[in-house]
Amino acid sequence: MSLFQRLRHTDFWTGVTGLIVAVLALLLLFPILRVLMLGFVDADTGAFTIGNFVELFTRNYYLNGFKNSLFVGVLGTLGACLIGIPLAFFTARFHVQGQAWISTLAILVLVAPPFIGAYAWIMMLGSNGFMTNFFGLFGIETPTIYGAHGIILVFTLKFFPFIYLMTQTSLNGMNKSFEDAAENLGCTPWQRFTKITLPLVFPAVSTGAIICFVLAIADFGTPAILGRGFRTLSTIAFSAYRSELGGRPTMAVTVSIVMMAISMLALLAQRRILSKRRYASALTNPPVKQRMTGWRNTVMHVFCHGIVLIAMLPTLVVVYTSFLKTNGPVFIGGYGLESYERILRTAPEAISNSFVFSLGAVVLITVFSGLISYVIVRRETAAAGAIDFLMMVPYLVPGVVMAIGFVTTFRGGPLDVVGTAGLLILLYFIRRLPYGVRSATSSLRQIKPSMEEAAVNLGAAPAKAFLVVTVPLILPGLIVGALMSFITAINELSGTLILYDGGTITMPVQIYLAVLDGEFGLAGALSTVLLVCTGACVYAVFRFAENRDSAFL
Amino acid sequence: MASVEITGLRKLYGDVVALSDITLTIPSGAFYTLLGPSGCGKTTLLRTIAGFHAQTSGQIAVDGAPIETLPAHKRDVAMVFQDYAVFPHLSVHDNVAFGLKQRKVDKSAIKTRVAEVLDVVQLSHLADRMPHELSGGQQQRVGLARAIVVRPKVLLMDEPLSNLDAKLRVDLRAELRRIQRDLGITTIYVTHDQEEALAMSDIVCVMHGGIIQQAAAPLDIYLRPANRFVATFVGANNFLDVDRTSGGAVLRSGAANVAARISAERPVTCAIRPEDIHAHPPGTAIDPGRIVIEATMREISFLGREMEIFAVTEAGEEIKAVARPDPAIVALPPKSPVTLTVDPDALSFFAQGGNGDRLP
Repeated sequence: MSLFQRLRHTDFWTGVTGLIVAVLALLLLFPILRVLMLGFVDADTGAFTIGNFVELFTRNYYLNGFKNSLFVGVLGTLGACLIGIPLAFFTARFHVQGQAWISTLAILVLVAPPFIGAYAWIMMLGSNGFMTNFFGLFGIETPTIYGAHGIILVFTLKFFPFIYLMTQTSLNGMNKSFEDAAENLGCTPWQRFTKITLPLVFPAVSTGAIICFVLAIADFGTPAILGRGFRTLSTIAFSAYRSELGGRPTMAVTVSIVMMAISMLALLAQRRILSKRRYASALTNPPVKQRMTGWRNTVMHVFCHGIVLIAMLPTLVVVYTSFLKTNGPVFIGGYGLESYERILRTAPEAISNSFVFSLGAVVLITVFSGLISYVIVRRETAAAGAIDFLMMVPYLVPGVVMAIGFVTTFRGGPLDVVGTAGLLILLYFIRRLPYGVRSATSSLRQIKPSMEEAAVNLGAAPAKAFLVVTVPLILPGLIVGALMSFITAINELSGTLILYDGGTITMPVQIYLAVLDGEFGLAGALSTVLLVCTGACVYAVFRFAENRDSAFL
Repeated sequence: MASVEITGLRKLYGDVVALSDITLTIPSGAFYTLLGPSGCGKTTLLRTIAGFHAQTSGQIAVDGAPIETLPAHKRDVAMVFQDYAVFPHLSVHDNVAFGLKQRKVDKSAIKTRVAEVLDVVQLSHLADRMPHELSGGQQQRVGLARAIVVRPKVLLMDEPLSNLDAKLRVDLRAELRRIQRDLGITTIYVTHDQEEALAMSDIVCVMHGGIIQQAAAPLDIYLRPANRFVATFVGANNFLDVDRTSGGAVLRSGAANVAARISAERPVTCAIRPEDIHAHPPGTAIDPGRIVIEATMREISFLGREMEIFAVTEAGEEIKAVARPDPAIVALPPKSPVTLTVDPDALSFFAQGGNGDRLP
């Protein structure tokens, strides 16, 4: 074929692949590259330097932040494992009453706005928290919630659902014959658990742990609210960005690069370890649940329900405080709807903005995840492989980094769009796109390629075959993806905090500011609105998803 | 009705040759079967004709008009898929109407044509059902109806029966053939099942390694396989060594002189179909016209309609015979001697080495 002929025959999907690559290059690669480059630039002269990294690893201020991030990241992940694995084991291997209830609560914890946990714990155990005051009546001094241990507690209770849900899925999919064989060969139940079951779920546990670790390293809201002088890399990056405003945000960027490097190294290490451990097996003999009796049974139930209830506690406290009677920032006793009146009076645009931006992003995400999933699953080109790989990147890049990348890329010149609604929508789009793509991709993998081939064979052009055959077949996956990206978009804080201006404030930002001002009633009411939206989406996901638990991972 | 002509078709995946210089002609209205083991290129060839793979070089013409550069949706070659590919979100009627809608056929015509074709495949009573309410056989009838309703120039079938159970496969096989004959539609059929290929086809094209080994009528394929591969793949065969003596050639097992049958000097091997070998209990009178091969019984499988005899000749060659069950043979214990005989006319000879071409 001549070149001309080839151009004329450039088919629909080649064009789509080109479009996707262009969009990802502009909104993902380019901003990240800009960020990476800024880290190697002198703030004053603009000349190339590695001085920023030297400074980061020599000055105590940064070095402590680095250590602190690793400290709370590792311990938070460990804590999540310590409660997540037993919970998964109990619910997967024994009859636990209210199993659906437990997994629903765990999922609600997972999707609840990330910073709610932090400030709800302040309301309980802060210097003026009700638990602090309650125990104070008896002269008991409760440990303060501020500082590293508070952050670790919040991370533990916030991230354990990842470990729990992944391990549970893995346990449920494990061929019972392995455990039977162990027993048959003379293992005690404990040996069977440590020598067979635990190693076999290790891939799932480690995947969950990596997610926890990456999220903990990137988390901004929790250390910002609970830190009180305990600074992590993400809060340092944010304040560096604030103080460098107007100039080159080189230190903010340098700190961000180190954060990404930590996440990346952790992920690579896990992949390396996992590469030697592939335990695919047919589920010919599904596991059977046993019944526990006596005091063991009681302890198990108390543990399982206790964990999810404690993890839900912050959410309940937030909803509760939203209905307390307030006068300005002060709770004056009794119940009332003043907080809700106040959000309607003072921050109606935060609510409408949140919805408009998130919905805008979700529309884009849904369209693109349909197209991207097709390219990834059906086209075996180098570009398709690259797109598949790029879909990992937004998970690893903290919101602060992505937003700084957007600022440095899109500020100035005729295209100064920083602070506009459009840019926030694009930020949400690129950060939450992987949720939509993953859901659509797993849907499409279950559809045989012969479906589209049959449509094309019967005379439908590729674009039409996609629209009338593929899209209806992956619709549940698209809907679940849209819901998941909506949940995560409407709760986005760290990136928005850098990109918003007066007119484009969102609910999470408003909540964050209210918490900093001690306006817990206002924060509670806004958080409740967020929680209701999120809860409604979770319910919808339950309706549409084939496997309700794994849809959230 | 249309003829198909494929010339010099090549398909490479990197360095791997999937199709190597495929040249074939399919007369209008013929039932043409591509037969071969998995990986032989038969499905690649079919999908290249359908336009799902782009060929590296070569031409495909339908009724003289080249189609190899047309996109798949403009080729007018309807396909029936191995996994049915019945759209699960559309009813039986809408599945069958799908191709007609793409061709902008008007509504009333769609209605009558769908009704007609559903009648042909005996699914009229299920027109409003959804695919998940149908059995595998019914789904494949929908797949067939959907393909023939658009009156394509060529009908392509990719192992359409291989996902069905054995009984249904045989029933549907006959029905497919009947519908194809009635419509007179040129059909290219892919299968790895030699029985299916022999039973249904006008022409069987045996493929191996991306190369056409032989394309001929089923009887020719079986009785006169073009080379050792075809002789082994279609039906079973025993290959026995031929030893050259001064001025002669004898079967190593049985020592029969076969010099008269071999003109060329090159090394040859002798093929005997298992069903051409008779087994005799010790002490039976043997027709003197037959070649006698003394052997030791290794194993007998009694399969009901027939028995399979595995034996080792005195020259140490393994040999298999298939015959109607004979109580005297079935009762023989392992390692007992058995006399095998074969009609000299049943021998065929193939060159050793190379493609193992059949010697005249």
